[in-house]
Parts: sequence; C-alpha cells; structure tokens
Amino acid sequence: MARALTVPIARASPNITLIVWGGLTLLGTLLLSWARIGRDLFAFVPGSIGLQLLRESPVMSGITAVAALVVLTGALQRPESQRGRIALWLGAAGCALSVFYLVSSGQPFGPAAIVAALGFLAIMGTGLALSGTLRTDAFLATSILWVGAFVLAFILFPLWAVLKASVVVKGQLSLAAVTSVLKSPAFFLLNNPASSRNEAAIAAALGLVTAAVVGIVWLAHRRGWRALRAAAVAGVGIWVLAALYLGFGALRNSVLLAIVVGVVATALGFVFALLSERSNLRTRSLLGPLSILPIITPPFVLGLALIYMFGRRGFVTNGLLGLSTGIFFGPLGVAIAQILAYAPIAYLVLQGVVQAMDAAMEEAAETLGASRWHILRTVIWPLARPGIANAFLLVAIESLADFGNPIIVGGGVPFLATEVFFAIIGRFNPSEAAVYGVVLLAMTLSIFLVQRYWIGRRFYVTVTGKPSGAQHRPLPPALDYAASGVFLAWVVLIVALYGSVFIGSITKLWGFDYALTLQHIKALSPTGWQVFWTTARLSAYAAIPSTILGFLIGYLVTRVEFPGKSALEFGSMLSFAVPGTVMGIGYILAFNQGALLLTGTSLILVLAFVFRNMPVGIRSGIAAILQIDRSLEEASTMLRANSPTTLRRIVMPLARAALLSGLVFAFVRAMTAVSQVIFLITPAHNLATTQILSYVEYGSLGRGAALASLLTLFMIAVILALYAVNRRFDTRTVGKTLMT
Amino acid sequence: MKERAVETRSSMPEARLSAVPVRLENVTKRFGSFAAVDNVTLVIPAGKLVTLLGPSGCGKTTTLRMIAGLEHPTGGRIWIGDEDVTALPASNRSVTMVFQSYALFPHLTVHENVAYGLRIAKLPETEIARQVAGVLELVGLPQVGRRYPAQLSGGQQQRVALARALVMKPKVLLFDEPLSNLDAKLRKRVRAEIRELQQRLGITSIYVTHDQAEALALSDVIVVMNLGRVEQIGAPTDLYRKPASRFVADFIGEANLLTGTYREGQVTVGPFTFPFRQESVAAGPVTVLARPEAVTVQTDGAGLPGKIRTAFFMGMTNEYLIETPAGELTATEPIRARGLLSMGTEVRLQFDDTGLYLLSESTESPASTGSSESAP
Ligand SMILES: Nc1ncnc2c1ncn2[C@@H]1O[C@H](COP(=O)(O)OP(=O)(O)OP(=O)(O)O)[C@@H](O)[C@H]1O
Ligand SMILES: [Mg+2]
Repeated sequence: MARALTVPIARASPNITLIVWGGLTLLGTLLLSWARIGRDLFAFVPGSIGLQLLRESPVMSGITAVAALVVLTGALQRPESQRGRIALWLGAAGCALSVFYLVSSGQPFGPAAIVAALGFLAIMGTGLALSGTLRTDAFLATSILWVGAFVLAFILFPLWAVLKASVVVKGQLSLAAVTSVLKSPAFFLLNNPASSRNEAAIAAALGLVTAAVVGIVWLAHRRGWRALRAAAVAGVGIWVLAALYLGFGALRNSVLLAIVVGVVATALGFVFALLSERSNLRTRSLLGPLSILPIITPPFVLGLALIYMFGRRGFVTNGLLGLSTGIFFGPLGVAIAQILAYAPIAYLVLQGVVQAMDAAMEEAAETLGASRWHILRTVIWPLARPGIANAFLLVAIESLADFGNPIIVGGGVPFLATEVFFAIIGRFNPSEAAVYGVVLLAMTLSIFLVQRYWIGRRFYVTVTGKPSGAQHRPLPPALDYAASGVFLAWVVLIVALYGSVFIGSITKLWGFDYALTLQHIKALSPTGWQVFWTTARLSAYAAIPSTILGFLIGYLVTRVEFPGKSALEFGSMLSFAVPGTVMGIGYILAFNQGALLLTGTSLILVLAFVFRNMPVGIRSGIAAILQIDRSLEEASTMLRANSPTTLRRIVMPLARAALLSGLVFAFVRAMTAVSQVIFLITPAHNLATTQILSYVEYGSLGRGAALASLLTLFMIAVILALYAVNRRFDTRTVGKTLMT
Repeated sequence: MKERAVETRSSMPEARLSAVPVRLENVTKRFGSFAAVDNVTLVIPAGKLVTLLGPSGCGKTTTLRMIAGLEHPTGGRIWIGDEDVTALPASNRSVTMVFQSYALFPHLTVHENVAYGLRIAKLPETEIARQVAGVLELVGLPQVGRRYPAQLSGGQQQRVALARALVMKPKVLLFDEPLSNLDAKLRKRVRAEIRELQQRLGITSIYVTHDQAEALALSDVIVVMNLGRVEQIGAPTDLYRKPASRFVADFIGEANLLTGTYREGQVTVGPFTFPFRQESVAAGPVTVLARPEAVTVQTDGAGLPGKIRTAFFMGMTNEYLIETPAGELTATEPIRARGLLSMGTEVRLQFDDTGLYLLSESTESPASTGSSESAP
C-alpha cells in the first residue's frame, strides 16, 4: 500500500472511523438483502444480496467498489484533509449509486439499502469533518447528515407527496382536482340556491356597512389615513365572518369551529391562569391534575363521554330530563368536546402571561396612581395581547387538525380533517383528499408561522423579562369566587364526562340498562387486549428513537454551528403544525409503491409516531441543554473527550430527567395518536385509538368505553410513574412539553 | 500547604524539560463583520506565565479560546511548540484550561472529576488513582476526593479545577479569570499559590484577567489588549515604568497624565519647569505620566502650585486630589509626622524621577509588538 505514495507522510496514521464505516457498508451491501418481499423488513430474500447481484448489475459493482475504496482511503497514509475530501466524494458517490439502484430496481428496499444509506452518509459526514468543511467532528457531522436525511425523507417528502397529489391527476399536471374541490358545495357554498335570500349579497352588505361605520367613527377622531385602514380591516373581517356564518361546507364548519373553540378555550384558560396565579381559594390545587387529564388522553374520549351524558339516550338529556335530542351530534357537540379538551392548553400558555402582568400592574398602579381602566388599557392589555393571541392560535391549530371528535360526535357534518379521511376511505379519491389536505395544511401552517415567528418571539420576551419572585396580588374576593365557580363547573363537567366513560365500561347498556357488568371488559379479549398491547409495543419502539433524535437535534441546534441549521430546526418542528390526517395521507402517498414501499408494515406506524412526536423530544432536549453550563462541555473537550464521549458522560447524565420525561411524553403521545395513523393501520396492526373509534362506529359503545378507560388509566399510571422517578416534576411542565 | 506541596513534587514529572512556546501569527477572529481579535501577533515564551490584560470586551477570552481550540480563527496561524495547531480540534492540542466558572462536573465526585481526562486517555485504574492522589495533594486538597463539587467551598473548587487541568500534564495551561468568583482575601492567596505552582512546574501558562493588580503580581510578561489589538507587551515593571501609550499608562496602575513640553532635559508643566532627561522622546509637546507615589506634596518651596481638593486617609498612605494649573492630579504619600493636610491647603508639587515618564504625542497608538518578541 505504501507504494502508492510518493512521499510518505510520517504522522498520518490509518483512520479507524473511515475503515469501520467503509467495512460495515461493504459487508452490509454484500451480505444483506437489497429487496424485500411483503412486510417483513428483516426476512432474508434469496437472490437479492449484493454478492449475487454483482454479476448482473454494474451499479451494484459500483456501490461495492466505492465502499471498498473508502476502506482503502482510511488505511492509506494521507494527510487528514486530503483523506477527508476523498471520503466526502466517495460517500456522495455511494449515496447517489444506492439511490439510483433502488429507483431503477423498483423493488421495496431491504436492510442492505438502509445500511448503505446510513453508511455512505456517515462516510460523507466523516469526510466533511476531516476535510475541515464542517468545523465539527465526525460524530456530529454524521449526526447532522442523518438527521437531515430523516427530516427530508419522513417529514418533507410526505408533505411534498401531498402537494404533488393535489395537482397531479393520473400522471398529468392538472388543476382539475383543485377546482372541483374548491367549487364543490361540500367544501364551501355561500349562496344557497335553495334559500330565498342571497347570502353573498348579505355578507357583502354587512361588510360595507361595517367599513362605513368604522371609517366615519375614526375620521371623527381625526385619524386621517389610519381611518381608511381600520375601515378596510373591519369591513373585510365582518364580510368574511358573515360569509362563514351564512355559508355551508367543510371549510366554513372547520374555520367557524376553530374560531369559536379558540375564543372560548382561551377565555377559560385565562380564567384558570388567573386562579392558578392569584387565587386564595383551595380549588386551585385541582388545576394541575385536572388540566393534565385532557392532554394525556385522546381528545375524542371527551366526545365519547358527551354521547354518554348528552346523546339521544344520554344520562343527563334522556335519563334526567327525559329528552331525546340529537342536538349534541354536530358542530355543537364537537365544539363542547374541543373546548373542554383544549382549555388546558390555553391555560398553560396564559399562566406565564398572568405572572408577568401581575408585576407590571402593581408597579404601574402604585407608582403612577393611574386609574384601573387606564392601567388595563395601556399596560395590561398590551402585555397580555401576544400571549392571548398565542393561546388562541395554538388552540385553533389543534381544533382544525382534530379528527376524532368530528368523527365521533360530528353527526356527519363535514369538516376539513374528516373530509380528508372520507375522500380516501369513502370515495377512494386520493387527489381530492390531497386538495383538502393542502387547504388544511395551508391554514395550520400559516397560523404556525404567525405564532412562532411573530407572536412567539414577542411572547417569549415578555415572559422572560419578568422579574422573578414578584409579589402575587390576590384577586378581589368577588372575582375570585366567580372565577372559581367557572373553574368548578369545568371540573364537574370533566369529572362527570371521564366518570361516565369509566362507568359506561362496566354498565350493561348505557341509557337502557344501568346494571353493572364486566361483559365489556371481558369482551376486550382477545382483540381489544391484543390491540392495546400492540399499541403499547409500537409506541415504546417509537418513543426511543424520537427521544434520541429529538435530543440530538436539540443539541445540534443549541450547541453546534453548521450551515442549514435553521432549515433543520424548522423542518423538524414542522410536523407539530401539520395536521395528523395530512401527515397520514402524506405517508400513504409517499410510501405506497416502488422502492419506498412501506405501507402495511408496522415500521410505517413507528415512523409516523417517531416523526410526529420528535418535536416533544426537541423541546425537552433544548430546555435541558440550555440549563447545562456550556463550559462543562468545553472542559470535557479540553480533557481530550470527543463529542460522543462528552454527550454520554456529561450532557446525558445532567439531562437525564429531561430525557426521561421526553421519553414518556413521546410514548404517551404515540399511545393516544389517532389521525396520523388512521390511514396506516392494517388488520394486523390495529391500534387502540382506532379500535375505539371502530367499536363506537359499530355501536359497541360499551367496549369502546372499556378500551378508552383502560387507555386513560394506563396513561395516568405512566405519568404517575414518571412523577415517582422524577422528583422535580411539575404538572405545568408536563403539559407545556406535551402541547405547546 | 506549601510544605506538603514541596514534599510531593516528585509525583509530577519535571514538566520544565518539555515546556514549549506558543506563537500567534496575525490571528484574527471575526463575528460577522466585527473583529473581536484583530491581527494579533505574539509569542508566549516556554515555561513563562503570560497575562492577557485589558478592559472588558477587548478580546482576551476570544484569544484564549482560540489557543484552546474552542474557537477557530478567521485568519492567521497558531503554533504550540513547532506544531501548527490552527486546524487541530481542542481535544488534540495538549492544552488544558481552568474556567472562570470552574466547570467542575456536578454529577461526578472530585476524584472522578480529576480522573476524567485520564480515564479518557485509558490509563490503568491504579495509575489513575496514584496520579489523582498526587495532584490533589499538590493543590493542597488530599482529603476531598469522595466529595461532590457542590460540597466544596469556592476556593476548594478552584483548586480542584486546577488539579484537573494539571493532571493531564498539558504543554500549555490556560486560565480564564480563574479568581473572579473568589473574595478579595482568598483571591490574593490563591493567586500566590498559582504563581508558586506554575514556577515550580515550569508550565507555559496563559492567564486572562482584567484586574491589573493581579496581572502585575502574577506575570512574567503582560500583554495589554484594547479593542481586539495588542497595545503593548512587556514585563510588569516595564509596563508600569515605560508604558507605550496613554491607554497602557492609564490602564496599569494609577496614573496622572498631564500635558507639558519637553526641551533639552527640561520638562515644563504649567508654570513649573524642572530637569528631567529621557532619550526616547523628541522635543516638543508631550504627555507627562506621573505616578501618584512620584508626586511629592510640600507646603512651601519650589514646584507646581496647587490646592488640595480632597484628602483621604488610606491606612498606610495619605491620598490627595490636587487642583493645579496643569490639571487635576492624585498624589499618595506615606503617613508622615505632620499628618493629613486639610482641604484647601495651598501646596507645591515636586516630581520624582523614578515614577515619571514622557509620552510624545506620536506614541498615542503604537504598533508596539517589538519589545518582547525577542523573548526566548
Ligand atoms: N460568539 C460571539 N458572537 C459574537 N460576538 C462575540 C462572541 N464572542 C465574543 N464576542 C464579542 O467579541 C468581543 C470580545 O469578547 P471577549 O469575550 O474576548 O472579551 P473579553 O476581553 O474576554 O472581555 P471580558 O473581560 O468581559 O471577559 C466582545 O465585544 C464580544 O461581544
Ligand atoms: Mg472574558
């Protein structure tokens, strides 16, 4: 080997990293299957290992040659920077050849493809570090490439597939699907031909009148051109609201629902926040546990409970009042279920705002002697506004994306999230589903962007700018009692609803025969139990990689400088803003055929969980890492530790509590996920949440309640176990990590 | 503590033999368009303790971190001994650092903290135990191995941090304001201990501080920095006696800076002319640097006339703030029999040659790296 060198360089010794990665890649390529038959990822497929393919496929020979060259590069005596550049090019060539091979073979990928992809990326990463292109070491450079590849493949690519499906119909670029959906009355209809009035004209007239009134009032205050702007904003706002109110269709229902739920849940959350920060009454101690409950159970459990309490044979409506009403099936029921489920989110966001407000109010009131009204208008409202907007927008995203409640208590009224589902499952029309998905995505994404980059920033500044340990001024008693009353009503409702699910699971036939029975719980076996354990198993599988990935991304984002960092951060947080149903169709559209075929495997469920819940890991990771003094890592580096050692010996032990919570939260979210997996399940891999939905759909409410109770109790047990292990635990942090 | 340290000297191998110099050549570090360190060239002689001194934000820490490898220069080269380490990562540089915050690993005991680097170097466990015990004795903390950092006092934490850095037998030892978290008394003691250890082990050391008293007491050589550039390099006495610029004069020690003129062995300050000769300065307008202890306060006779504005009793000295036609100046004098002069007293001021230095107007911003580059 030394003969290849003209001038041997004394100090360059063989590079172990390159030799190991090159060797692993070579072995994996030669000895593992490149293709896969059916669903089992690890089945050995005769005839598809690299050794056998070498003769027929020149590309395969290229791939193995590249891997062998990497080993050689690692062994040769060369200066590191030169070796790095060679490794970089070899790695890139290997990636390109592997992708080319997979695409041209068209068979579902096997384990060899995974090894090759990860291996060649690692070789590229090592090359980037050795050549000095990236000022990090091989481990971090490889992590960056891997994480980037994952985000591309499992977040951006599925979204791209949805976009593509909405404008490509039968292989042709066409706007047919888009126009047909946008024009369909199921999507949005303003001027109902069946009604005698002209809704469009009414909405327009209302808008014009509002604009005129606002303009005149503002002009009277001599506001000049700002009057014009105010008039335009008010006019358009009223016009849109009127059109939504008067119109029909999924768009109208979803948006109106989001607005109503957003406003009411935010108001409730504000009241709760006031109580938690400034109440003198004991009731506030209930806030913690009860606000966690709706967050750790699937939101549709409340929908289910609503049927029990207020449905046709509901305990309250029928049992107590003797009514038989379907009024709670439809938008009203969905709105109530969502308000109950999402008020805690608003509470968690606003709690910080109320804290900050308190100090400001005191200062202003006591030093300036201004009137209360003046303080409210000039100090409190501007301070609280970003937080309130933040809470509203977060709740609106959740409401728009929610799938379970509309399908359980929606009573057949169309909503965007459910139309996506019905377009695929009922009408077998992926293009239509994609168009609905794109509309939904556009709305949640723009809300997400506004929330994150506009309000999120200001909100953050306000909250961190508060002086800590400010004196909390108690609420005036009248207000305290009123607010506590509202809260107690919410508590009673929540307890009654969850209670009805628990009781429903041991009641013979709710609404007809309230005799106690274990028949529903017994009926869970075998299917129900099996599904429950499958869910727990897959969720556990998913929790580990999503925690590790999330933590790694958190570390890269906070501690490492590299080009494309903000893109990586944005891409990985994106899946928080993507409604589950959209992610779901993204996955079936993207991984449905060819080399990337994954549908029908349990792997696709795990992947869906991992990338859906990764932001939870990122958030808890970032929070933990920011609390570790950076000089600890630097001290470790100066004592000759490389970055994996520093991560393992210093960062991970110090962030252990956060890692553990991240793990548990990822697990909880996977267990309770519905919308992103509803398209991905198969009879072999059914999940608890979807099983509950199908029990309800087929009228076995009792069994649905039994499974839902089991799920709820299990989640409570898991959170309590976490509580027992992590001493420094706060229900607020749990909620914040989970939701916001 | 000193006695014990001397006894265990043999547990540290003679570092003196392997001491190496550190060289910075035109090193620049930019953050965006802002140059935190601007074209710095300097040599840290083998086995010496060199202080980087300057006001807050002048780029001391950045320079130190570039030597450590925690920050990468935008331009220029860094040499440790005869090895160009510019592109080497921090973990391969044979340099260790004592951090301002000590950066002791809170989840590891003192023993584990000190052993951390040795474990990474994969030394046998018995050898690690021997070396850790040796170095803990060296810094005077033989008893605390089992404790966690949170169970130590600030001064003890500081010494553990030093032990953790020393045990690696680094070629270069870096300190970033290691004493700033200690109270004034303790600071003086630890400062003396650091100096003593460094001289005994003969490790090339670079020490960042913004406290000029600390720099004067500790250093073989002081590098004064300002706005990312080197203002002057020299031994503490040189910098004090012969500052190259107003900035250095003002920054190191107390300084009275008066405007005056110099002609043929005569200095004129206000109405007062006195004999003083300095070869390095041309005739014409000059800035006269007079250290407070070089200003003699008399109640009569010849001298610069002035009037006492305020008078302080400082313990060992009296300190006066005096208004003169050439400007305000400070004078200190040992307590004499006559006691503290009262405010408003008319006085005459004489200047003592040893505390006097002239800066010609052209030496305001010198390119003054020359003086100590010839150091070994
Ligand atoms: N990572 C960074 N990004 C941007 N600017 C930086 C960064 N690190 C340092 N600076 C800037 O570079 C300048 C020099 O910083 P440095 O930390 O070296 O100062 P210093 O001399 O150590 O000051 P101090 O005595 O306050 O510690 C400062 O103006 C600082 O704001
Ligand atoms: Mg500093």
